[in-house]
Amino acid sequence: MTGTVQSGIEEIGLQPGSHVCAFYRGASDRDRLLTGYLGAGLSAGDKCICVVDSAYTAKRLESLPADCGAPGPFDGQLDIHLPESTYLAGGEFTTSDMLTFWTESMVKAEIEGYTFCRLVGEMTWALRDAPGVEHLVGYESELNRVTSSYPVVVLCLYDLDLFSGEVVVNIVKTHPQVLIQGILVENPYYVGPDEFLRSAHI
Amino acid sequence: MTAQHVTRSGVAAMATLPTRPVEAPDANLRERLGEFRALLVISLLMTESVDEDQILELATSSAPGLGAWRVEGYAFSDGRWRPGVDPAAPMAAGLAAQLASLGSGAGRVELPGRGWAWAFPLRSVSGLLGHLVASCEREPSAEGRFLIQVIAQQTGVAVSNARLHARERATGAELAATNAALAETVTTLQRSMDIHERLTRVAVSGEGQPGIAKALHELTSMPVAIEDRYGNLSAWAGPGRPDPYPKESFAKREHMLRRLMRDSKPIRDGERLILLVSPRPDVIGVLALIDPGRRADNADLVAMEHGATVLSMELARLRGIADTELRLRRDLIHDLLAGTDDESALARAEALDYDLRRPHRVVLVEGKGRARAHDALLSAARRVIRQARLTGLFETWSGNVAIVTAGQTDWEKLRRAIMSDLGGQCHIGVGGPAARPSELPRSLREAGLALRLQKTLLPGSSACEYPKLGIFRMLAAIPDLTDVDKFVREWLGSLLDYDARRKAELVHTLTQYLEHGGNYDATAAELSVHKSTLKYRLQRIRELTGLELNDPDVHFNLQLATRAWGTLQALQDER
Repeated sequence: MTGTVQSGIEEIGLQPGSHVCAFYRGASDRDRLLTGYLGAGLSAGDKCICVVDSAYTAKRLESLPADCGAPGPFDGQLDIHLPESTYLAGGEFTTSDMLTFWTESMVKAEIEGYTFCRLVGEMTWALRDAPGVEHLVGYESELNRVTSSYPVVVLCLYDLDLFSGEVVVNIVKTHPQVLIQGILVENPYYVGPDEFLRSAHI
Repeated sequence: MTAQHVTRSGVAAMATLPTRPVEAPDANLRERLGEFRALLVISLLMTESVDEDQILELATSSAPGLGAWRVEGYAFSDGRWRPGVDPAAPMAAGLAAQLASLGSGAGRVELPGRGWAWAFPLRSVSGLLGHLVASCEREPSAEGRFLIQVIAQQTGVAVSNARLHARERATGAELAATNAALAETVTTLQRSMDIHERLTRVAVSGEGQPGIAKALHELTSMPVAIEDRYGNLSAWAGPGRPDPYPKESFAKREHMLRRLMRDSKPIRDGERLILLVSPRPDVIGVLALIDPGRRADNADLVAMEHGATVLSMELARLRGIADTELRLRRDLIHDLLAGTDDESALARAEALDYDLRRPHRVVLVEGKGRARAHDALLSAARRVIRQARLTGLFETWSGNVAIVTAGQTDWEKLRRAIMSDLGGQCHIGVGGPAARPSELPRSLREAGLALRLQKTLLPGSSACEYPKLGIFRMLAAIPDLTDVDKFVREWLGSLLDYDARRKAELVHTLTQYLEHGGNYDATAAELSVHKSTLKYRLQRIRELTGLELNDPDVHFNLQLATRAWGTLQALQDER
């Protein structure tokens, strides 16, 4: 797919391959972003894959396909995961495992016949006291490489009430696009994955 | 978890970007530009926030992402110190003085253990808010200092906005609270006006106590009772009226009234809210709101107090009417007994709703012993007359109770009833009927005469009716009593002189002997003397008069003389 796709958030259009970090405050703001983003994807017939931080949020999202009233069938169109089976599978976070998860998911979607994927991850899991969470920014940077090769848009959700200003600064520095207060802030000077990894190993 | 907590948890710190190689100027430039983008986002977040602490925390926690410097804290112009990266760190000694010397500008400050420390002004449109104090191991580059300066500038603007917003919110909240209070006051006033209007309508419409109870019930939606001072129900409005109406013991009632007098406001008495209504000390009523659910609010209490005011006016009015009627009745009976014209008397009686056109008579009641108390005798006479289903006008008259009544009854039975009620002795004299009010003074005189004759001449103490007095009535009717007096002197002169000389009672003894038909026992009992004393006195009478008492002619003349003497005595007393 080429051209802009509607994000479903504040009339913002995204280029395929976009990796956007979205900052929000509180659960209701998060739900607004999730509902808009996934609802637009479901309506457009996109494969939607999301990782949310709690079973409660997952349960609520289950009814989203039926609620958005878009053309169906939606069986299997929306995959909902929890951090325990994704970011923290095996009890720790590893960048490679997570990138593999996304890659396999996108390949599987392609096999299922979907031409476009919409990924979203609620990043609150990174606040848990789990091994590997220190690789979060590196992972976010590396994810840019993966998304650029697929017909996909990715949304990473950060709760401003929980994450510090330092995380915000570093996320902005490593992401080409940041969504904040309904404004898409472009960062053409973002630190690319190769550069980040190179500097990280110095 | 807060952002600050996250910072300390290590996540953010571990995610810090590694330092870029200095030999890559292009990369360095890109990093600076990236930092400016990040700064823009931080500024956006600060601008969006209305929480001052959140803004300061964001600035503090952003610092490690923007360079090797840290925020030591924020020193505000009002002297307040808000720690930065170390939440427990107090303001360094001497820092305040250094900041004061800087004024509204930026400049280097000395902090213990820090290679470099700088104070950046927190500016706002309204002036200087304070300073952001940053530190670093080594002096940062010009770009780095610029970043800190921008963070300080943005923090100042955001804090200023947040304070403005907080002030507006506080003003808004204050306005909302004021509006709410005003609305509540208006509602309360409206309710109060409704209450006042409703109860005033009741007061002027003359609906009386039932109307007051009904209005109060409609205003409070609770049953309402009005009781007199003894707990008798005067009026009830609303459902659930008890039948029969419960009555407390006298002691409990008095205790409750004392409580009400002491508190002078509604008090709770079990399921009821009660309030004393007492327009004057001798007039007491109780207003009760039946409130088992204890849901009476302030408005209900206001309604109750307004209701009490109206009830107070009503009770005062009723008592005023009663007092006036009583006074008018007293004035009327006084004038009737003293003598007044028929037309005036009939008109005044009609105004009092009393039918004086029927023939009336005067009854005089004289108390003895405990029955001498006039008020008690008057009350007892009133009760007994009412029980006898008679109507009448009552007044105390020359130490006796005078009753003007149209009724005829067994007066002796009435006398006994009064004695039973009072627990003392009394005499009754009944005057003859008066066809017109102007004849009532004559009936009064007859009643008085009957009373005196009964006391002095007649046996026993039965009620004495003037029309049944026979010879006494005939003697009393003689206009010129000179011949009667001569006749008495002719037959009783020696005895009268003896009595006067010796303080004896021979005339009285003779009178009783003759009235009892010469019966020794009955006469002795009447005189309360021994029979031998009686015989002695009779012997003295025979000796002094020289008369034989058993001679029928002598007997007749002596009896006539004693009755005439009694009548003369009674008439003499009257004059």
